[in-house]
Amino acid sequence: MNAHPGDLLSGMLDGELTPGEVAGVRAHLEACPDCQRELDRISETRTLVRDLPAVDPPFGFYERMVRPRYRWARAGVAALAGAAAVSVGVMAFAAPREPHVTPHVAQLVDAHTASASTSGDPISEMTPAAAPVSFKR
Amino acid sequence: MAGEGAPTWEEVARSHGRFLYTVAYRLTGNREDAEDLVQEVLLRVRRGLQTYQPGSMEGWLSRIATNAFLDEIRRRKRRPEDLLPDDPDWVLPPTAGADEALAAEVLPDDVHAALQRLPEDFRAAVVLCDVVGQSYQEISASLQIPVGTVRSRIHRGRAMLREVLTAA
Repeated sequence: MNAHPGDLLSGMLDGELTPGEVAGVRAHLEACPDCQRELDRISETRTLVRDLPAVDPPFGFYERMVRPRYRWARAGVAALAGAAAVSVGVMAFAAPREPHVTPHVAQLVDAHTASASTSGDPISEMTPAAAPVSFKR
Repeated sequence: MAGEGAPTWEEVARSHGRFLYTVAYRLTGNREDAEDLVQEVLLRVRRGLQTYQPGSMEGWLSRIATNAFLDEIRRRKRRPEDLLPDDPDWVLPPTAGADEALAAEVLPDDVHAALQRLPEDFRAAVVLCDVVGQSYQEISASLQIPVGTVRSRIHRGRAMLREVLTAA
């Protein structure tokens, strides 16, 4: 029996192996029930992920996208926001097209930090840090 | 100046928003971070549209989204409970999951939550393969890793998902 195929199993499921590699894996599987079981388990798991549905964005998503708040990746910039020149530079870059007054970057970040929370988000609250829990309803 | 026929970034947001949001949500695990990731992607899209070559827009967006996601992960402090890819807890013993069937009803929410348990490098590979549908070659180009590493991360990622889903 040739060596256990390991990740070649996923390669085969994903159609990424050469015909020669596929032949080698198939020959091994005929003689190795453990690897056949692993193939079945991996295939089942692969299908579960592939069957995940598309996710609809929440209400107001598109409007928020075209009027960005620059909340996330700009958190590091807030550390420099004490320097007026830097914050002016950032504000110029972040300035929306509408001519209205925009708050100071540090205020935006403070407001975000104060309000940032995943509470109420069912997925975040379901994810445990330690022992896995059952999500069965 | 954007190339001839290249969409504006607003057009990209409108026509690919649902796709981008889905990928971002599967990568980040929650809606708030998903929106932030999409915003970051659109920022990079705005900068990069001049160089966009007509081809697979979704492939291009997926690459940007995954790299933006991994950039952000590296920027944040790693939480102690995150398991690193070479953490021995994630080394599968030879009979891991042997004869363990999945529960009769594994819901999409279960799969989504299990995805979030993966270390981010593994999650990114599985999402690009099984959510976006990229080939190993495309994933290799997206993540700048060899094809062999793509394959092993996908395989181990799936095995880890299996472990999480079968844990009692």
